[in-house]
Amino acid sequence: MLFESLLAGFQLFLTPMAIGLTFIGILIGLLVGAMPGLGPLMGIILLLPVAIGLPPVAAMGFLIAIFVGGSCGGSISAILLRIPGTPLAAATLFDGYPMAQKGRAADAIGIAISSSAIGGLIGGVVLIAASPILAKFASGFAPPEYAMLAVTGLFAIALISGGSLIKGLISGCFGLLLATIGTDEFSTGYRFTFGSHHMLNGFHIVAVVVGLFAISEMAHQIIGNDLLKKPDIKVERPGFGSLLKTLRHWGNLLRSSGIGVFFGALPGAGGVISSFSAYAIAKAAAKPGEKYGEGAEGGVVATESANNATVGGTLVPSLALGIPGDASSAMLLGALLILGFVPGPILFEQEPQFVGGIFLVYMASNIFLLIAGILATPFFVYVLRIPKFYLIPIILILCSIGTFALQASVFDLMVMFGFGLVGILFRATNYPLAPIVIGIILGPILENNLRRALLISREGYWIFLDRPVSATLVCVNVLLISGALVYAFRTRRKVFARREEA
Amino acid sequence: MTSRTLTLLVTAFFAIIVGIVFQQIHTSMHEQGIASGGPYDNAAAYPRAVAIVIAGLVIVQILMEILSGHQEKIGLEPQALKRAVGLLFVFALYLGCLQWLGYHLTTTPMVFAVMYICGARQIGKMLLAAIVMSFGFAFVFERFLNVVLPGGIFRLNIPW
Repeated sequence: MLFESLLAGFQLFLTPMAIGLTFIGILIGLLVGAMPGLGPLMGIILLLPVAIGLPPVAAMGFLIAIFVGGSCGGSISAILLRIPGTPLAAATLFDGYPMAQKGRAADAIGIAISSSAIGGLIGGVVLIAASPILAKFASGFAPPEYAMLAVTGLFAIALISGGSLIKGLISGCFGLLLATIGTDEFSTGYRFTFGSHHMLNGFHIVAVVVGLFAISEMAHQIIGNDLLKKPDIKVERPGFGSLLKTLRHWGNLLRSSGIGVFFGALPGAGGVISSFSAYAIAKAAAKPGEKYGEGAEGGVVATESANNATVGGTLVPSLALGIPGDASSAMLLGALLILGFVPGPILFEQEPQFVGGIFLVYMASNIFLLIAGILATPFFVYVLRIPKFYLIPIILILCSIGTFALQASVFDLMVMFGFGLVGILFRATNYPLAPIVIGIILGPILENNLRRALLISREGYWIFLDRPVSATLVCVNVLLISGALVYAFRTRRKVFARREEA
Repeated sequence: MTSRTLTLLVTAFFAIIVGIVFQQIHTSMHEQGIASGGPYDNAAAYPRAVAIVIAGLVIVQILMEILSGHQEKIGLEPQALKRAVGLLFVFALYLGCLQWLGYHLTTTPMVFAVMYICGARQIGKMLLAAIVMSFGFAFVFERFLNVVLPGGIFRLNIPW
């Protein structure tokens, strides 16, 4: 079954367009990852309008490659500028920058890229092996299980997405509410459309997400005082010898990649937690001679292999269950839906060749990452010298054309701008944005399955406790929320105690 | 501006959202006959429940902030604030004029204005960059992705 799926996937993947776009996706991913303030999510958001006009496997190859490249690109600026391009590369600073200070910047970048590629490939093996099994298990799920799974996904992401639990939950619920706008699938009635034909299908998810993330990020960037600054960086040229240097840390590589896959597969955990955890464990397991924090190769290996392995891990629940692990994978799910595919067990049953194609583009992305990353590093270093005052208008044009191109609609541009303002308000008040996207993606899954479950139930809401998997998920949700509340209560008490002491 | 002002703003935002949900349920959805009944017909139950959860969580959040008594001053330089407001104003103006004047007449000035707001003052370089950026993106999107950009009242579309 798996081999058949992969073989069939080869036919879809082995086209000049799919291979070419996967390679271009890696270059774009590395670029957006390297530029502080952007990152893989922003790359996916900005180029989603381009991707949805492409053949499905080529489109997914393009977006997944941006995700893979973007997860690694942040290490380049972390090593050279001491500014992580993305939060994912924050832990790479600890040893990457000291390596650069000691004149080993090329080695550090080479090791970061090699570790990312190998970590990503390990994540890919887990993805290929685990997701069909999970999908098969989930094929027995009925509406109650799906509804509870959606609630679990939302809770998990709200819990860990930064800021407070309450704010995360409010953001998630806001996303759920946004997903209700438009024509109701059951009654075919119109909800919150205000009589406008533009709203019959709700807001386009890309317009909402571009506004929330990209526009608000540009407003945030322009507040900074480094708009005209041109960083003075020496061009570095890593070599393929870095791959051998990386492989010498094989134990660390395997362990950190395992940590990355594990955290990736947990909704909400993501690359930042996995890279910091992998670093901490690698440091604890280090030999006395390895000076972590002072330029140890192992530190770079641990963080970079973990954060790229996370990508493979996060795709497991996303593809097999349709539950996104983080905001980037939520956008990938959004792309799948726009392309006409429903993620989850149905995708594995009805479109095995497409699933095989996705597996192959993911693996190819990591191989291309190694080649393109090592060869094109001088180009990314050059790009890092571009001042922000050029970058901001470029992104604004991309946002505008990309959003307009979705449906040739100026209304979408207005939606984008409106959500840009909402994004600014949310950022200013520390409300996390990622749960909104997850809420929009999970909203229809939750509502439709909740209503279906109630339709088939003879005992109302008790149906959620009658079925073993659903009941387990209810328990998980209760545990998640009560655990988070206890934690929040204790933290708050400590803060109060400290304030009183002060 | 203090953190409490921002909290008030965000509370007002969610109050409006929750208000809209209930207003729509009692008017539009009620008129369509989808505001009551079983799970199949009642399209209002789920958004109502979500809105109630939002309202409850916002109240808890406000109570927590009041109880903590903590108030932070948001230290934003006036120049930085001016830049952010300027950017949003220029971008809103651009989006407003896009349909009317078309992509080619609006994008170059928008890019130039944004660079100016950022503090760049080398007019020649900025103008060149603005032209290259706007026409470069138009070429890529129109030539390779078959996107027809807004031509405006002058119907300005370049047949690349």
